Amino acid sequence: MQLLDTAAPKPPTGGRGAAAPAVTAPAHGRWQRIKAARWSYVYLAPLMALLLTFVVYPIFGSLAYAFYRWNGIGSPGDYVGLDNFRQIAHDAIFWRAVGHTFVYAIVVVPVQLLIALVLALTLNNRKLRFASFYRTLFFLPVVTSPAVVGVIVQLMLSNFGDSLNRWLLDAHLIGRPVDWLGNPKIALGIIILVGVWQTLGYNLVYFLAGLQTIPEEVYEAARIDGAGRLRTFTHITVPLLRPVGLMIVILAFIGSFQVFDLVQVLTGGGPYFGTEVVNTYIYHLAFGGNQATATEPNVGLASAASFFYGLLLIGFSVLQVLLFRSLAKRRATGRA
Amino acid sequence: MAVLVSAGRRGRPAAPSRRRAAGRRTAGRSLTHLLLLGGGLLWLFPFLWTLGSSLKSPDGFFSKGLNPLPDGVHAGNYRSAWQQASFGRYFLNTVLISGGCVVLVLVATSMAGYVLARTDFPGRKTCIGLISVTLFLPHGYTIIPIFDIVRGLHLLNTVWAVIIVQASSGLVFATFLFMGYFSTMDRQIEDAARVDGASFHQTFWRVMLPLSGPMLATVGLFTCISAWNSFFIPLVFTLSKPELRTLPVGMYSFIGQNSTDWTFLCAGSVISLVPIVVIFLLLQRYFVNGLAGAVKG
Repeated sequence: MQLLDTAAPKPPTGGRGAAAPAVTAPAHGRWQRIKAARWSYVYLAPLMALLLTFVVYPIFGSLAYAFYRWNGIGSPGDYVGLDNFRQIAHDAIFWRAVGHTFVYAIVVVPVQLLIALVLALTLNNRKLRFASFYRTLFFLPVVTSPAVVGVIVQLMLSNFGDSLNRWLLDAHLIGRPVDWLGNPKIALGIIILVGVWQTLGYNLVYFLAGLQTIPEEVYEAARIDGAGRLRTFTHITVPLLRPVGLMIVILAFIGSFQVFDLVQVLTGGGPYFGTEVVNTYIYHLAFGGNQATATEPNVGLASAASFFYGLLLIGFSVLQVLLFRSLAKRRATGRA
Repeated sequence: MAVLVSAGRRGRPAAPSRRRAAGRRTAGRSLTHLLLLGGGLLWLFPFLWTLGSSLKSPDGFFSKGLNPLPDGVHAGNYRSAWQQASFGRYFLNTVLISGGCVVLVLVATSMAGYVLARTDFPGRKTCIGLISVTLFLPHGYTIIPIFDIVRGLHLLNTVWAVIIVQASSGLVFATFLFMGYFSTMDRQIEDAARVDGASFHQTFWRVMLPLSGPMLATVGLFTCISAWNSFFIPLVFTLSKPELRTLPVGMYSFIGQNSTDWTFLCAGSVISLVPIVVIFLLLQRYFVNGLAGAVKG
């Protein structure tokens, strides 16, 4: 904060005339050093201004809202203390949303990581031609908008869903047409499938990056020692991939827990909260717009829910890291 | 899925005879390519289907079903999406917002990354600490306070609101990328510039920034892709101003209203997807390297 006061708020625009030997001027005393480095503060100012205004302040601002009952219009006045947190902790729909989000993450992450790892191992082979072309193919969904993908999936279901229904009816596999996005279980399955498809590319690239950190000589040495493919994989690739792998698992979980666009576009959390995930739940609390709830938007409740969820996620991440650590330690002591 | 998994099992342990082994290896390699190519086509099928369906007639859309090949070329779908359904407007909004985000993020984070990595000043460590901490704080539902700030700045219902808020969401990551890049540069470059009489500004804008081309491309591409595809921020900031909608938000609002104009929604999808896919294909090296660096570092 104190730093920003010394920095002029206007961003520099070239300013080549104003020479300033800022970097290495001999400095005596703090003030002298600050003066000598004045352009450093100016260069930092646009970033810090944006960061403090649109990232740091809103985090604390939204925490403050969590103690009010407030519909988002005017300024919050109705102080309710911890009531919002209590209400969230006792809301069955919130816990169902947490459940759906965890189901999503716990299915998406392992399935995605397994496919990504197998693909990465295949593409990491130096003798394989066109490897980067294949990588691009499987990576492409990552650069597309989840919202647009959601619309495409709806278009496909409106078309091929009908044909598939007719075919299943003819084969007497189902008694009546399946309502693909109307049945919560099937809708969640479709969301999971699309989720795996859309974000797999990240993990593919991460795994490839991890595999490339393993030096070729190590594999060479293993081959000379007569290790087979499986032994090479379990005794070299897996242990050397573990540090990057831990990062990949954590990133995959963080991404999955934040799922929003896809669910909002495909089902809007419906029918009857059957596919509500935490982020759509919070969105509906803050902005309304869910047919099933005719309630007023309650920003305070939404803020409380998102903080509560943030704490749950931090707890989960810590647990994850501790689990990995203890597993690594047990393996290390077991070997010794 | 089964296809992809079996692709990994290619190349079993060598056969006794060397020639047979070589033959098997060729066969195995062809099989790998076949599986990868088949899997890849299946992987991209939703896009191919959308592309084909965007040219179908409304009848063809149903009679052709999952067949991506269209029944003729009905380019009228694009014309009506662009004009009647205001996808032209959405397209321009998206270009403007993505471009604005890229410029804002590049200027703010390259300057900050440079001074944080290459200069020493009181409070430097505090700044780095503050920036790092924002990564770990639980990001509550910050859209409401952000909305209030934007209202206070009288930017509500302008394109600037979306640009600034969207740009702010990727600042920390970009700053770290630039810091990392500038800190690995040789100090002699700066010394040489200073000996030649370059000022602080000249050193940065004329020497260091041009040398950080690859990182400019990486950060620019990340920012452009996330802004182009962003859904939540433009959704919230265009709720009361439909003319400012971006392509993803426009698509979302259309599927709610006119959910019978299938072929034309396909055309809208193609308009939304093609520009960003082309940009990605041209610059993908930078994107992939940036991602790889993030997980290794």
